[in-house]
Amino acid sequence: MTTLTTPFAEQESRQTKWVLWFAWVLAIASAGIGAYGLFLRFVLGHAGANYGSYVPWGLWIAAYIALIGASAGAFAFAAVIFTLRKLRYYSLARLAILLAFGAFAAGMTNVWLDLGHPLRFWKLMLQTSFTSIMGWMSWFYVIYGLILVVGLFITRNGVIPKFMERYSWISFFFAIVFAGAEGALFGVVGARALWESGLTPILFLVEAGLFGLGLVAIGGFIFGCLEKQSARMLSVVMLIFLGLLLLFKWAEYTTALYASVPAKVEPIMTILTGPFWWVFWFFHLGLGILLPALLLLFGRGNIWSTGIAGGLIAAMSLASKLNLVLPALAQEELKGLAHAFTGPGLVFAYFPSLMEWLVWIGTLGLGGLIVLIGFHIFNISAPTYSGSSNR
Amino acid sequence: MSDTIVPKENLLLRMQEDIRRALEKPEGERRWGMVIDTRKCVGCHACTISCVAENKLPPGVVYRPVLDQEIGTYPNVTRRFMPRPCMQCEKPPCVPVCPVNATYIRPDGIVAIDYEQCIGCRYCITACPYSARTFDLGHTYTEGTPEQEVYELLPNYEYGVEHPRKPGSEESPIGNARKCHFCLHRLEQGQLPMCVTTCIGIANYFGDLNDRESLVAEMAAQPNAIVLKEELGTKPKVFYLI
Repeated sequence: MTTLTTPFAEQESRQTKWVLWFAWVLAIASAGIGAYGLFLRFVLGHAGANYGSYVPWGLWIAAYIALIGASAGAFAFAAVIFTLRKLRYYSLARLAILLAFGAFAAGMTNVWLDLGHPLRFWKLMLQTSFTSIMGWMSWFYVIYGLILVVGLFITRNGVIPKFMERYSWISFFFAIVFAGAEGALFGVVGARALWESGLTPILFLVEAGLFGLGLVAIGGFIFGCLEKQSARMLSVVMLIFLGLLLLFKWAEYTTALYASVPAKVEPIMTILTGPFWWVFWFFHLGLGILLPALLLLFGRGNIWSTGIAGGLIAAMSLASKLNLVLPALAQEELKGLAHAFTGPGLVFAYFPSLMEWLVWIGTLGLGGLIVLIGFHIFNISAPTYSGSSNR
Repeated sequence: MSDTIVPKENLLLRMQEDIRRALEKPEGERRWGMVIDTRKCVGCHACTISCVAENKLPPGVVYRPVLDQEIGTYPNVTRRFMPRPCMQCEKPPCVPVCPVNATYIRPDGIVAIDYEQCIGCRYCITACPYSARTFDLGHTYTEGTPEQEVYELLPNYEYGVEHPRKPGSEESPIGNARKCHFCLHRLEQGQLPMCVTTCIGIANYFGDLNDRESLVAEMAAQPNAIVLKEELGTKPKVFYLI
């Protein structure tokens, strides 16, 4: 076998260790905060949440689709690296699988706690309705989870088996289908004009690619496996995805605004000028697209700027998904509904409750801990070899 | 004007007779429907309140709100009241999206929810273009007061099944999507839905749309009968006379 990538041990000296320590502290603190959120979730139930009947999905669903998208993107990156046998990036690809698993676990925890009956989750698998995209997705999650676990186990000693290299394209296509289906889950809802578009699944694919690469960049930075060449490669690909995302957003918003169909214009205007306009302009566009683009453009493959840009992209994925989920739901479907009957959950305004924030922070902590612990369990720092070459 | 359409008779008795006739038919041959005369509705909300009482609805769950709509610009303004039950669509968008078959169309056309099957994902709520589904968050009216009132624990009998309420738990119907079911438990006993019975202006007509002799079929065929959001192709079985 041939050693294909620079061992992490050598790079660790180059990496500022405090970044890794900071990641540990942050993950443990987040998990601790989340434990209290979890306590509230099970004591108060859904009565402690601010989502309800008119805005039935909130922070947890936005976080879930952001994390699942990032997971699919990170995994697709790894699959491409193995399929194309880009030996130089094998370490990064292994880390990408672990990051994908961490994001997947965090995302699934969000959606599980969002269920009205979390203990009935098994019905999704054993009593699936295949007329529902969500029914299909539940099976996709099982298969995807298995692919991730198998991928982590078979590469745990640092040797990438031949079949992993040769058949990763199957996993890649699965990741594409998986991320696209996530978008279709929204795209098929005819009642919500903002969602119901052929562009929605495509947008989800682009965002999955972008958020996944962002996750890999910040993960590579934290674990010290980002070097000049991989940073440059990631920068270029992220810039392409950022451009695509801007193009699709522009196309979606401008055509809708020009057509002036109220059902679609109203949620878009809520995004652009509503009470949470700053989520779009400041977090999504500013910190999630423009600042990372500038860092990537002028950083020229600098490890710090690539890592920070990736971190911003990954973090601001939530802003993008919040702007997909909430404005579509925060519209009166029938005039007069907002004041027809009052009660908890019968409002079209939404801001997450303390319980929702705490649980969300906790799920991120959980994902972070999985990655930090998994890094050691799966020997990600070990030298990586290709199983199809002789030493 | 309506006097020329509806003979002066006790409309409630006629509708009850229509129901009895429908119940004699096999379930699959019935097609329950409702017509709401917005010209007769005065916005008293009696239907909303009676529905809450009949189905023991907790805070935040409503099956039949009455929408208060102002139309036009002063001085040419109109005020219209529009009760909004579940439309019991023939092509309900809420049914195919359910990932566990918890919501389904009964042979008599009523869109039902199996409370024990529902996982509370709320995908159906997002899919309904009429916001006719609400989520039971588990609230109680006496929340934050020193004592839990006994009436809050009384069971409801939706879908003919006893559902005791256990605040603080996530036992159904808490954690479920919930909606109007035309008071199915009353219907099967030959009684009209509560909202129809309690309407002070008899602005609701209910019965079997497949029965040409029924009052509801007669009213649904009026030229001024419309359905909401017809363009979506959901084919509601609730009509409005405007």
